[in-house]
Amino acid sequence: MKKSQAMMLRENMNRKIKKIFTNPRIIILIICLVLAVVSISPNLNVKGVTIRNVVANSSASIAGIIGPTPNARPMNRERILAINNVVINNVEEYYGVVEKLEINQTVHVKTNRGLYKLLMRAETEEVVLNETIKRIVTEEVFDEATNKTENVTRIVEEPKKEVYVLGVEDIGLRVYNPPKTNIKQGLDLQGGVRVLLKPEEKVSKTYTDDLISSLNQRLNVYGLSDVVIRSSNDLSGNQYILIELAGANEEEVKELIAKQGKFEAKVGNNTVFRGGEDITYVCRSADCSGIDPGRGCGVAAGGGYVCRFRFSISLSPEAAERQASLTRDLEVIVENNDEYLSEKLYLYLDDKEVDQLNIGADLKGRAVTDIQISGTGGGATNQEAVYNALQNMKKLQTMLITGSLPVKLNIVKTDNVSPVLGEEFVNNALFMGLLILISVAVMVSLRYRKIQITVPMTVSLISEVVLLIGVASIIGWNIDLPAIAGIIIAIGTGVDHQIVIADETIGGRSVQIFDWKKRIKKAFFIITAAYLTTVVAMMPLIFAGAGLLKGFALTTIIGVSIGIFITRPAFANVVEILLRE
Amino acid sequence: MEDKKEWLFMKVYDKQYKKLLIIPFVLLFIALVLIFYKYSTTGEFIEKGISLKGGTTITIPMVKGVNIEELRASLLSSFPGRDINIRELSRIGQSSGIIIEADVDPEETDELSSFLEKVERELSIKKDDYSIEIIGSSLGESFFRETIVAISIAFLFMGIVVFIYFRSFVPSIAVILSAFSDIIETLAIVNLLEIKLSTAGIAAFLMLIGYSVDTDILLSTRVLKVTEGTVFEKIKGAMRTGLMMSGTTIVAILTALIFTQSEVIRQIMIILLIGLGIDLINTWIQNAGLLRLYVERKQKPYEEKSGNDVEGEYE
Repeated sequence: MKKSQAMMLRENMNRKIKKIFTNPRIIILIICLVLAVVSISPNLNVKGVTIRNVVANSSASIAGIIGPTPNARPMNRERILAINNVVINNVEEYYGVVEKLEINQTVHVKTNRGLYKLLMRAETEEVVLNETIKRIVTEEVFDEATNKTENVTRIVEEPKKEVYVLGVEDIGLRVYNPPKTNIKQGLDLQGGVRVLLKPEEKVSKTYTDDLISSLNQRLNVYGLSDVVIRSSNDLSGNQYILIELAGANEEEVKELIAKQGKFEAKVGNNTVFRGGEDITYVCRSADCSGIDPGRGCGVAAGGGYVCRFRFSISLSPEAAERQASLTRDLEVIVENNDEYLSEKLYLYLDDKEVDQLNIGADLKGRAVTDIQISGTGGGATNQEAVYNALQNMKKLQTMLITGSLPVKLNIVKTDNVSPVLGEEFVNNALFMGLLILISVAVMVSLRYRKIQITVPMTVSLISEVVLLIGVASIIGWNIDLPAIAGIIIAIGTGVDHQIVIADETIGGRSVQIFDWKKRIKKAFFIITAAYLTTVVAMMPLIFAGAGLLKGFALTTIIGVSIGIFITRPAFANVVEILLRE
Repeated sequence: MEDKKEWLFMKVYDKQYKKLLIIPFVLLFIALVLIFYKYSTTGEFIEKGISLKGGTTITIPMVKGVNIEELRASLLSSFPGRDINIRELSRIGQSSGIIIEADVDPEETDELSSFLEKVERELSIKKDDYSIEIIGSSLGESFFRETIVAISIAFLFMGIVVFIYFRSFVPSIAVILSAFSDIIETLAIVNLLEIKLSTAGIAAFLMLIGYSVDTDILLSTRVLKVTEGTVFEKIKGAMRTGLMMSGTTIVAILTALIFTQSEVIRQIMIILLIGLGIDLINTWIQNAGLLRLYVERKQKPYEEKSGNDVEGEYE
């Protein structure tokens, strides 16, 4: 007798389970869950280190390694698996191996896409000695009288210099521990720099696009490709440009993007050439750019050290012509046995003087296309001055290459998030999420004392989080702190709505219920109203305040929508199937 | 003993609901007076944090044994006239770092970098060890205006949805009034606690609209759309569900409050916690009382007729 009852119960259970997995709403939920998991594609066994950025002109970029595009999904990015057959498992191991590389060593970098052969270069510093050497120079000179270009050979005396090897040049790769899922972590979670810029005057859509592409180009020249640049507006019609550099904590980048970069070289009040179109080539290799071998470093007047950098550029013929006509009428003066022209060439960046250069007497009235640009950098120590001078040079070069921005930008907000803090946040958020889930599950169990309610409720909450993160990974948006707050609300609302469903259907009544449909309909009447009010309340936030809380509003809206359209119908059906006699 | 107490409360709740209605309205009045007082004395009706006012926030996790007073004095001596605040971060009762706030604008580049250098030296930390958030005062100001506009629009939209849903004036107004009281009273308490609001804190008020309306809608639906039982029975039934809803949310919030190490999340959670507490009064005394007044007044002429209907119909 007892046995048959147990058998009947089991049969009943089997029937119910079969019913659950053939229910269309539940099938939809399961399909969505599978899609979400595929998109997140968790893989705990990812090996190597992921490449974040490749520094321009470095050994790595010469060898053909390309940095990821910002839209590249985290799991699809190139990963370094081994260097010189030494397997790399994490960032520490990577730096351990890279540190030991030597000058002129050939390095084999194995990635998940291929094998690259890199040649390590030396980082050098030129020091000027107190001696001079003579050198024979042959130049092409355009003679205006004959209208021909002729070769002129002359002997120049220049200071003798010695090249010191400082060490191995940076390999040029920025790496991070490989992501284990396709969830894109926002800046708050992985560290990096966020800059919010505001154009000084209102600009049209085309200008904004120009701005964004110029900024992108500038950052690319810098070797930063994993960047997000987008424009946003707020409710009052203010325009903003938001730049996010994941993982980067490079101060100079901030300055670089905020500078309009209007470069001008003037003789007197007349412009000789401008950055951008007047300049056809900017030298960035070691033989024609770096610390000025002729002037080098010295003690500054106000204490500390100052170093002078120089690099050569090529002017367009028109600009060269302009220079010729502007210098034609200048007088030649003699200073320390050197012959100069009476006016200097002044270099301006964003209307601020960067440097002034003496113009050699031999340039008078000649249309020379190759000229040298110079500037300075200072610091408390010699080393610091060298570093700062080289940084200033890099910035100036970048602006000469990319030209000026159509409008001046002001930095209105910057965030530097420490990567250490970010990692803590992720672990903390996961831990917190788990605790919240457990505490809610405990409360629900205490209240309903029915496993048929507690289990579906917990499962449905977990599914909601998975679906929400799945959607985020499909559309490639970053999970940051505001988004986490959005997830928390969506889950909170989820619990509330499931309690409404549970109470409307079985709450306070006997289990024998005959009008399930009606009761579920009533539960949905309440939760639909709650859903609609949440959505309309979050809507204005999408457009308010430079879009910084957009992530929060969107996550909440998508989260509650997933709940009302996918998980809650499934939950209601499961509860009905399990509890209906 | 427990039973008796509960019984007493329910008895008062049932019989004296009109008198109980005074409580939420007095609270609302006090809150409005407090906010108005704050506005008339300080010119602001909230305590603005750095992200709404402009300035620099430096978060340094994992530094221990810092003498906050000494650090502040030392920073002030190098940067006189600045408004510098230092707070300790704590998680599960343990110190987990410090936050330094200063009124340095992003446009003052030189001042800013020397300030950061000084902090780095004082605490012997490196660039990667801390986070900085710098916001310009004009942006802070516009953020504040924008979020206030966003909250107003959100509130308006919510009201429209409620009206369309219930299609009767008094119950809709009761729901909207309850949400309004929640926001105003929470704001007054936040001011009393001298919490400096950040952008995220303002977003928390938006969340509050969503959460507080949930229980109100549940209550109104049960009272208006179900015909079985007396009004009080319907309110009691709705209360069982509503308290469970608030209970789970409050437990979740408390868990997050204890374990989070993010100031952003912490502020959101504190505001939600206060708001949900206040919402218990505004939903179950104010909204429920108003609904009962409305329904019983409407039912009076038919009192003899309406008995125990078989099953509730709803639209």
